[in-house]
Amino acid sequence: MYDKTARRRRALLALLVVLSLLLLTAYFGEAPSGRLHSVQRDFLTVVSPIQDGANKALKPVRDLFGWVGDTFHAKSQRNQLRKQVDKLRRELVAQQAEKRIYGQLIAIYHLDQLGVNSYHPVTATVVGKSPNIWYSTVTIDKGEGAGVRVNDPVVNGEGLIGKVTQVASDGAQVDLITDSSMGVSARIGSSRATGIVQPKVGAPNDLLLQYLPANTAVSPGEYVVTSGTISTADDSLYPPGIPIGQVTSINEESAYRSVNVHPIANLHNLDVVQVLTSGRGARASHLAGLAASLPPGKVGGGGEQLASTETGG
Amino acid sequence: MSATEQPVALILRVALLAVAIVFFQIGVVSEVPLFGVNIDLSPLLVAFVGLLCGSLVGALSGFAVGLLVDLALVQTLGVTSLLFTLIGYWAGRLRELRDPQAALTPLLVGAGASAASLVGYSLIEFMLGVDAPVSLELLRQIVLGVVVNSVVALPVWALVRRVLESVLPEDPRRRRRRRAYTTGGLSPLSRA
Repeated sequence: MYDKTARRRRALLALLVVLSLLLLTAYFGEAPSGRLHSVQRDFLTVVSPIQDGANKALKPVRDLFGWVGDTFHAKSQRNQLRKQVDKLRRELVAQQAEKRIYGQLIAIYHLDQLGVNSYHPVTATVVGKSPNIWYSTVTIDKGEGAGVRVNDPVVNGEGLIGKVTQVASDGAQVDLITDSSMGVSARIGSSRATGIVQPKVGAPNDLLLQYLPANTAVSPGEYVVTSGTISTADDSLYPPGIPIGQVTSINEESAYRSVNVHPIANLHNLDVVQVLTSGRGARASHLAGLAASLPPGKVGGGGEQLASTETGG
Repeated sequence: MSATEQPVALILRVALLAVAIVFFQIGVVSEVPLFGVNIDLSPLLVAFVGLLCGSLVGALSGFAVGLLVDLALVQTLGVTSLLFTLIGYWAGRLRELRDPQAALTPLLVGAGASAASLVGYSLIEFMLGVDAPVSLELLRQIVLGVVVNSVVALPVWALVRRVLESVLPEDPRRRRRRRAYTTGGLSPLSRA
């Protein structure tokens, strides 16, 4: 009895295994248009509506499972995304800083194209700023070792920044044009009238262009640039034509006219600057070059201006 | 229920259970991944039918469920049938030879059936020339699949037993065991 049952069981197993293998072999060997494939397709045709119905009926269950799964997934995804956001934010900050520096370097490059190159510019990075709100001084990472000397003009891509007031071997302090000790000879872009740009009392972020001839025609929005002369004798010359600021309003005075000027350079956001290290010998030859380059008939005026500055020093 | 009606009822219930579970598998479970893998209820069903009904019914139901799966999922006919036939037979023989009564038996049987199904399916697919590299990822999928199937093994076992229990053929050994523990026939306390 036991043998019979065992034999029947084994026979059935063998039959089913052989049947499976036959099915497998036949299915695998036949073309997609074969009989077994068509049976499968027919079965699918019959079962598809049932599957579709079951699929629709079971959708709430699936959604429930999906909701639970999605919640866990969303939670882990949220944590992952938070980390990613932190990482990207750090990258963005770094890139923004790099972009700003790049922009300043490009601007400096453009300034170089205007002739600043002849003043042997030394590119320096601002490593320290005056902690008070005036930002009247900054510290740069280039000093005597790089040829930087006291009174060398400092510019960036936007325009004039200030001048070197103290020099160490590998660093220097720069007084910004808004510092009360500064005075820069400047002219209105559209005219040849010159004056002195100094910080405006009571408005540390603004400048005042003073001592303009009373008949000077000037209007708001005009640019103020360096004239190539200075107010005191010991300072080095600022190269002519470097933008300083833009006229915001005009003050009427008795003998002279003065205008309010807003600096073009963002003095609160300095990263890269250039120190114009042209030596005093070079300055003299540069002046000669400037005088020679002036148009005929105006050499006298320009020469007087330059000469008067030198005389004043 | 008469002796002739009982096998018919058993076959009907197994068939209904198989169809329901296969469609539930296709319609719901396959679309809800857990830890990156899908639960596969069909090997569990086959193994538990074998564990409850014996090797003969186990092998037959394995073949039928496998064929149904292959047809419904448009897979190579015969692959799943072959695997499930062996799984059903193995689970049935386990019951016939050892009749394990431990509470964790269904979990272990489910894990074994899932492992056999996943490994066997991979082997057959490789033998049939499926161009896929044997990688750690595949191994990870198999291990995770076994773990995930083991998690649901006990509820599936409870369902299968609940559906089939009333139409199961009477097993003399179980009858004896039941009597021993319910009437105190073999209890040392009753002899004392």
